Amino acid sequence: MINVKQLSHSFTLGKKDPKTTLPVLKDISFNVKRGEIVSVIGKSGSGKSTLLNLISGFSQPTEGEIWIDGQQVTNFTEAEFADFRLSHLGFIFQSFQLIPSMTAYQNIELPLVSKGVNEYDRKQITIELLKKTGLINYQGHYPSELSGGQQQRVSIARALVLNPPIILADEPTGSLDSETEADLLQFIKQLNKERGITFLIITHDDAVAAIGNRTIAIKDGRLLEVGDAQ
Amino acid sequence: MRLKDQLAFVRQNVKKNKVRTFMTILATAMGCTFLIVLASIGYGLQQTIVEDTLEQQIVTKIDIHGYEKEDGRFRSLTMDDIDYLESIDGVKAVTRRNHLQQIPTFSTGDYIEEAEAVIAHFPSEIKSGLKLKEGRLPKNANEIVIGYHFPKHLHPDSIKEQDLYSKDGELKENYQYKEELIGKSIKMTVKRLDGEKEVTHIIPLKVVGILEKPTKEWMQDRNVYISQEVLEEIVGFTGTPNGNPRQEEGMEEANKAADTFDEVKVYTTNLEAVKGISDQLDDANYASYSVVKEMEQINMLFTIAKAGLILVGTIAILIASIGIYNTMTMAVTERAPDIGIMKAIGANPRTIKRIFLLESSYIGVIGAVVGVIVAYAVSFLVNFGLPIIIEAAFTEQLPDNLKFSAIPGTLIVISVSICLAVTILSGMRPAKRATQIDVLKAMRREI
Repeated sequence: MINVKQLSHSFTLGKKDPKTTLPVLKDISFNVKRGEIVSVIGKSGSGKSTLLNLISGFSQPTEGEIWIDGQQVTNFTEAEFADFRLSHLGFIFQSFQLIPSMTAYQNIELPLVSKGVNEYDRKQITIELLKKTGLINYQGHYPSELSGGQQQRVSIARALVLNPPIILADEPTGSLDSETEADLLQFIKQLNKERGITFLIITHDDAVAAIGNRTIAIKDGRLLEVGDAQ
Repeated sequence: MRLKDQLAFVRQNVKKNKVRTFMTILATAMGCTFLIVLASIGYGLQQTIVEDTLEQQIVTKIDIHGYEKEDGRFRSLTMDDIDYLESIDGVKAVTRRNHLQQIPTFSTGDYIEEAEAVIAHFPSEIKSGLKLKEGRLPKNANEIVIGYHFPKHLHPDSIKEQDLYSKDGELKENYQYKEELIGKSIKMTVKRLDGEKEVTHIIPLKVVGILEKPTKEWMQDRNVYISQEVLEEIVGFTGTPNGNPRQEEGMEEANKAADTFDEVKVYTTNLEAVKGISDQLDDANYASYSVVKEMEQINMLFTIAKAGLILVGTIAILIASIGIYNTMTMAVTERAPDIGIMKAIGANPRTIKRIFLLESSYIGVIGAVVGVIVAYAVSFLVNFGLPIIIEAAFTEQLPDNLKFSAIPGTLIVISVSICLAVTILSGMRPAKRATQIDVLKAMRREI
């Protein structure tokens, strides 16, 4: 489903001398099978978030290839990647990334609007997800009027709204308390089981990593090991 | 994303900063109003001049003044020319008239009037649209038709001229001829100068018809339409061409030029044919004049003037566009995190660009609509108030049909198009900037 081949990435430091670069990922290769939950673990600054950003298409790798669902996404233009994201990827962010001026309903509905789904269908899908995530009574609330856990549920509902085959999650429990964290992990497992959604989860938390079928460890930009979560 | 949803985004975004949007719309509306009002002065004056010119002319008429010979001199038109003119496609009638070269006196009973005598070709005159108010066309040599205003100027011979007219220049009611003129005998007195001595000759005529009132209010038709035979009798009496009372130098030459016409007019079947026939006559070396030709020149001058005014007015919209640019740039900066999130979850950069362009267009459209409404109000006030102010300030009477400002549909189309083009262009760069927003930086709130 996700195939990363010899991926390297460097940040260019400063603007005056573009030759000064800081390598953050070095020769990373791994693959994620359809329906798997794979956790990427590593310490802060290890390059795991950079890896997720490259897979998400938020930045372009310096070297290497990324294949998702049989397509080499590293060759995509920005517009092509946007369309690809809409149809293939869902995102869960640590800081939720909800639009503050939109209600929970509008935030969840947003990918459907971007895709051009008609109003009737949008309502059906959004209401169903609001019910599923236990947010039906909060649909008119703005993000600032919701707790962290509720915001993350809105974020998950938004990720699920177009029924993507893959969800990329960046520290999904980073801003949640332990109880909410447990609920969320349970929900991820349920989604994986019921819908067969592939999850790639970036985390530094072993408890989160433990829900995955496999764990990829990254240290100093290099792939340390690929193994069973247990 | 569907257009409806894009528009919903625009409405939502506009609501977020109502005051800023209002001020930007206000600036755009002012620019648009300025452009329309400025250009409307050109349109208004053009309309006034065109209407004034058309009011004094028959638009389907082409005056032919002569034929330009190879040596550059002009000659009068002959029957051959008339035949040629009549053969042109689109020509309805070719009227030809000769004018008696003196002003004869016409009298009936005690009433008298001096009026111009015209020798007209009635079949072509009727074809051209000349109509009789009453009576019929002449059948015999001594029968005449008189102009509509001729009876209104017949006055008693015994009254002094200074007593005949009222203060407004009209013939006093009690001196006006009240009887029916149709069928009446009328005496035409022509004169000839033998050295200093004046010799007169009286020709008895009979009025058989009165022409209809001229279509133009300001026109006066006091002519007496006599026959060719009467003209020949006068020519026989004076011994000069067209009955000139005095033999003048160079007239021998003119005497030889028989069968020429003083006044030839071509009437076309419709207004559209005038231009083509005018051009054809120019090519055939005829000196011609038509109101359409004059209109072309007037319109050309005003087109240049209007283009200039529109250009100046556009500067106002360009100034307003700075405001739009500023508003849109601020909007992009403020919404950068939202744009980043939208891009992250799959919004296409083209869609984001379109939303911002729609937003600047929205400002442009509202500004243009308000601008047009205000421009109409200003135009109305100018047309209503300015003549009053000018007449009060300069104590001068302005023409009745004078229009300072006119706003035709074309001006609205031009102005709104300029307004929209400028507003869309000014929104282009901010919209492009929105698409270039880095997702990661935006989500980290680093923009």
